[in-house]
Amino acid sequence: MSNPVMLKSNKYGINLILDSSMDFEELLDCILKRFKDSEGFFKNAKMAVSFEGRKLTQEEEFRIVETITDNTSVNIICILDNDALKEELIRQKIERFEEEQAGRTGEFYKGTLRSGQVLDCETSVIILGDINPGAKVISKGNIVVLGALKGNAYAGANGNEQAFVAALDMDPIQIKIGDIIGRSADKAPLAVKKRGRKQQAAPEPQVAIVKDGNIYIEPITKGLLNSI
Amino acid sequence: MSEVIVITSGKGGVGKTTTTANVGTGLAQLNKKVVLIDTDIGLRNLDVVMGLENRIVYNLVDVIEGNCRMKQALIKDKRYPNLSLLPSAQTRDKSAVSPEQMIKLIDELREEFDYILLDCPAGIEQGFKNAIAGADRALVVTTPEVSAIRDADRIIGLLGAHEVKQTELIVNRLRMDMVKRGDMMNINDVTDILAIDLIGAVPDDEQIVISTNQGEPLVGSDCLAGKAFENICHRILGEEVPFLDLEIKSSVWGKLKEIFKKN
Repeated sequence: MSNPVMLKSNKYGINLILDSSMDFEELLDCILKRFKDSEGFFKNAKMAVSFEGRKLTQEEEFRIVETITDNTSVNIICILDNDALKEELIRQKIERFEEEQAGRTGEFYKGTLRSGQVLDCETSVIILGDINPGAKVISKGNIVVLGALKGNAYAGANGNEQAFVAALDMDPIQIKIGDIIGRSADKAPLAVKKRGRKQQAAPEPQVAIVKDGNIYIEPITKGLLNSI
Repeated sequence: MSEVIVITSGKGGVGKTTTTANVGTGLAQLNKKVVLIDTDIGLRNLDVVMGLENRIVYNLVDVIEGNCRMKQALIKDKRYPNLSLLPSAQTRDKSAVSPEQMIKLIDELREEFDYILLDCPAGIEQGFKNAIAGADRALVVTTPEVSAIRDADRIIGLLGAHEVKQTELIVNRLRMDMVKRGDMMNINDVTDILAIDLIGAVPDDEQIVISTNQGEPLVGSDCLAGKAFENICHRILGEEVPFLDLEIKSSVWGKLKEIFKKN
């Protein structure tokens, strides 16, 4: 390697790319020299550093930091781990946690959503009101509408197909759960209900779930509730 | 060679969306490849009148912002495979799109379609400017009312200033009984004021209300309004079609009523 120490800036500070074969003491000198050279640029800077290219013991990491802080005006606030595998693991953990939270915790929204309004929730949501045509509810968890769902509902917005949408009066334009979209059957809008059908059956609470890659809307029964 | 037609009026509620839906469907019936674009961002209606609301996934703004490809946003009509709809966004407003972006979008569609119909929003602001930006031809819809004609006149002036080459008039919601009584302007009065070519006159018809509510355009059906829209389509294609006789032929029942009235 032509240059045993390379500096690369990242979001938080500086990434030191180190030679993997060089003797440590020698390398330390190189690092110091590199920082001294660019002291004018780094003057009094506060940064986080991370190391790459060489496995360092904790002691070695501290010695590097010490050398830099003692001999230059650079302030190193912390050492960042730069382990891709670890990062991936942490990311997965956080995502899983978020997903669980989305399914388990929820929030309330009181009021009717009118055409053009969008309610976007990180968690499950319970709406005390109607969702009118042209309005949209998006949730990473489940959606429960204590009213009429006549607009669009998108549950499990992070791709969770276990999510469900329930409503007291289920008459949606579109329902999306995970990546699966279901749309209402083609029919005349309700505005043109024929007279004489005045005593329409009272709307029945229904729930939409994914089964075999399709969205099904079914009446809420004990058996169904147990299965979701 | 494809043609881009904007349907506009200035005043709201005179029948732009209904006209767009019916003329578009009519042209599709005549085996033309047609796309309807709803440019009324924030107050979309054309999808409802076409009965395609439940199919919307992406919209005009998504295409312009590059969230999806054109193909993904176009909705194929359920009755005519050669008819498509590009719906507008409901959660945004007119400022989401600029005239330059509209021109680019229309140019992309020109390759695939014979007719591109733009449903213009009411007003003369941003939405109107977006809608007319890429248009070759305009259909100005008006009703035989002084206020609607005033607005139509202003629109015709603006279309001229924006160099839309061809501007034609549709007089909508004519009520021949009122014209006869002298309570409503007739077609000649309207064309005298506006002084542009008339491409169609559509009578006021209950069937229109029913058809819009059901999301089924009525062009080509037996009623007078359906006939009138069909004729407009033929005239758009450049055919000479005589204007409909809008006189209401009294039915037997009507005649009986008249007799009773006289007595």
